[in-house]
Amino acid sequence: MPAMSPTMTEGNIASWKVKEGDSFFTGDVLLEIETDKAQMDVEAQDDGKMAKIIQQDGAKGVKVGTRIAVIAETDDDLSSLSIPAEESASTSSPQEQTKSGVDASRSSESQAEAPPSSKGEDTPPMEPSQSSSSSPPPGKPQKQTYPLYPSIAQLLHEKGLPTSEADKIPASGPKGRLLKGDVLAYLGQISPSYSSEQSARITKLGHLNLNDAKPAPPKEATPPPSTKAQPTTAIELEITETEIAVPISLSSVLSVQKRIQATLGVTLPLSTFITRATELANDELPRSTAASTADELFNDVLGLNNVSSKTSRGSYMPQITALPGTPFTATAGPQRQPDIYDILTGKASSTVASKRLDEPPAGIMAGSKAGEATNVFSVSAAKGEEKRARVFLERVKTILQVEPGRLIL
Amino acid sequence: MLRTLVPRAASRSATRPCASILQPTGFCLFTYKGRGYATEAAEHDLVIIGGGVAGYVAAIKAGQEGMKVACIEKRGALGGTCLNVGCIPSKSLLNNSFMYHQILHDTKKRGIDVGDVKLNLKQMMAAKNTSVDGLTKGVEFLFKKNKVEYIKGTAAFSGENEVKVNLTDGGEQTLRAKNIIIATGSEATPFPGLTIDEKKVITSTGAIALESVPEKMVVIGGGIIGLEMGSVWSRLGSEVTVVEFLGQIGGPGMDAEISKTTKKILEKQGMKFKLNTKVLEGDANGEGVKLKVEAAKGGKEETLDADVVLVAIGRRPYTAGLGLENIGLEVDNKGRIIIDEQYRTKLPHIRVIGDCTFGPMLAHKAEEEAVAAIEYIKKGYGHVNYNAIPSVMYTHPEVAWVGQNEAELKEQGVKYKTGSFPFSANSRAKTNLETEGMVKFIADAETDRILGIHIVGPNAGEMIAEGVLALEYGASSEDVGRTSHAHPTLAEAFKEAAMSTYGKAIHY
Repeated sequence: MPAMSPTMTEGNIASWKVKEGDSFFTGDVLLEIETDKAQMDVEAQDDGKMAKIIQQDGAKGVKVGTRIAVIAETDDDLSSLSIPAEESASTSSPQEQTKSGVDASRSSESQAEAPPSSKGEDTPPMEPSQSSSSSPPPGKPQKQTYPLYPSIAQLLHEKGLPTSEADKIPASGPKGRLLKGDVLAYLGQISPSYSSEQSARITKLGHLNLNDAKPAPPKEATPPPSTKAQPTTAIELEITETEIAVPISLSSVLSVQKRIQATLGVTLPLSTFITRATELANDELPRSTAASTADELFNDVLGLNNVSSKTSRGSYMPQITALPGTPFTATAGPQRQPDIYDILTGKASSTVASKRLDEPPAGIMAGSKAGEATNVFSVSAAKGEEKRARVFLERVKTILQVEPGRLIL
Repeated sequence: MLRTLVPRAASRSATRPCASILQPTGFCLFTYKGRGYATEAAEHDLVIIGGGVAGYVAAIKAGQEGMKVACIEKRGALGGTCLNVGCIPSKSLLNNSFMYHQILHDTKKRGIDVGDVKLNLKQMMAAKNTSVDGLTKGVEFLFKKNKVEYIKGTAAFSGENEVKVNLTDGGEQTLRAKNIIIATGSEATPFPGLTIDEKKVITSTGAIALESVPEKMVVIGGGIIGLEMGSVWSRLGSEVTVVEFLGQIGGPGMDAEISKTTKKILEKQGMKFKLNTKVLEGDANGEGVKLKVEAAKGGKEETLDADVVLVAIGRRPYTAGLGLENIGLEVDNKGRIIIDEQYRTKLPHIRVIGDCTFGPMLAHKAEEEAVAAIEYIKKGYGHVNYNAIPSVMYTHPEVAWVGQNEAELKEQGVKYKTGSFPFSANSRAKTNLETEGMVKFIADAETDRILGIHIVGPNAGEMIAEGVLALEYGASSEDVGRTSHAHPTLAEAFKEAAMSTYGKAIHY
């Protein structure tokens, strides 16, 4: 269905003026089309023969670009013609069809002209003469409204062709511009499809390459940020999605407690240590909304995090449970700890994390130097707050294991 | 909504503590409502997170299109990395350090005798700051002119149409928007094991603000940033060594032949190169920095001493603290936010442009995307031709290219021909006594269509604009060769290189 005006999107076929098998000459009326605005004749742009009518008289609401009939060259034998399959209606690129239709060895004007070609073309190029104002899709021969490129003007003159010949050459350039390659193909100096293939390749280069996007694994699977003090022993356990637990040895707290008792004669209860550690660890926790990204973790490791406003005070109270005396040791050994490379590449697989879930807490513990007096500190965190809770627990752990003395000084 | 629930008297008293002491955010928000500030109910057509080149261009364009737009920036100045700590300040230093170097070494043969030449680094930095300030203020002015609301603060997603801003001046503000554009940019990739302090171990940010000229400088990474900043300090008197893992300088986009030529020229200027070399570890604990390096394909270890180490191994998307996970947006394995061809995330009203997503990390690419993204929102279509985005390295001489290089074409199996023209045969270059470098065309072997243009030489960065235009229009080398170029200009070399691609150059 040819576009009779720039705004036309669909039309009805009033009646065909030729029958299948009829020959026609340039300027003959082929059919009448009616739109909501007017009724118009469609004239043949070249001599030819009607091979097949697809949309019969009275067809309503035929979209522009849909095949309505197939026409052939005057001397074609219709019985031996195979009709090519329709490419997806209006999006089909007539340029491709035209290219394949033009045999490089026969470079006469009429053959390069799009509509009637020996291979049985789609009719869309059958442009009615009165609607030449509507711009045809790029890639087909069209009136060159820009000055010809210098190389093209040169080539045409060298070959003794008039510059008006340029309007008949299928143009593959940006916005339907005619390129030197198109003319070379038209003249048969290079393979006829090469120029359009090249244009397709270059058009593709013009698009953003989104193919190498490999989504990073979900954040939950990322191992916890290793704290600055003890990057490898920071082992914690996710019992459920919302429950975060960390084994913490209270042995150094106990020893401090003993020392204080020895020197000052005062017994500070364990709860004092834990309350104060909790108090300290709740300070400046990362905001729950700003949970961990791989970048952030890396910055954390390098101490680069200069975004000060990402922290807020937390209000966690850890639950403390004592551990059974003899921990399992069998399973922990072979399990590879995700290293910094895994964190960065996002390869820290969820399988590691999920495997841990099945194991009893003590199994994880085995590798660490926790020793006796170990308790599991746990808090429950809402979804999205896991990192916040983890950081909190890691801090409690660091404070209690490394420098409990400072809590009471 | 809050207002209807709280009696009037209570609302008045609620404003007071908010001003003095930090209070739960709800009160602050409420205060804004009570005072008649922009309320959260007033929805924006567009909220842009990031006021860098991508963000501010999108904001201005949106303002011009009549949208109610707000742009959130936490740096305290608009223009992002490019204007504040990137392209602009580095170009100021490159230009002025070049003048210093030229006056010092390249005046005698030109017939100019100069007396004592002294470097005033403080003043050079001040000149740089003046340029930067002028430009960032200029952007602020453009915001006002185009009615863009400028919000200073740190943004995080609190909902699919909602952004919460931690205001720089205190307090929080929640913005609702029909459309959101993420343009949070990128940051320098740190080198594992070296802590950046921006004094001894620096990124490009520190490299434009050193307080004295280091005696010895090692640059890790021979890409554009490394070579530009290395050039600056080399000209000002540092002994600069560039360590590059790959076999060529300039990064993978630079044509191998151009890269080789460039390396030779820079070596003549006094820079040293260690290609195919891997940095194993660094130690910045002593007075200077010690770097352990070895040949990339195995070889003997070597220790490099430096007063300052510039880490220029690339940049990575910056989305920390943005709360992407709150609305389920995904990044890929390189940290880039995943988008479609129209820059949409899987939430189609949220788009991403610039360094924090796909494509080359270039300010002009971000600018193109900014305009295209607004056009997609307003008009349903936007245009960016990623095959016609130029790259420029502002060393002296400059290096510039657009399109594909020989290695890429070989890999794709495209048959091509090349043509080049040296500046030593160009009359203007001769009179300027700047004859190093060349122009090189790569065109299709059959159609002569230009596939890539690569220049090293004086004024390459300006000259490449013609190449980009040629590529955009699908021109052949003959089209350029048959276009008149003024005489005597450097651009004639461009034309003659084109001529030598489809035929023969006249002057070579």
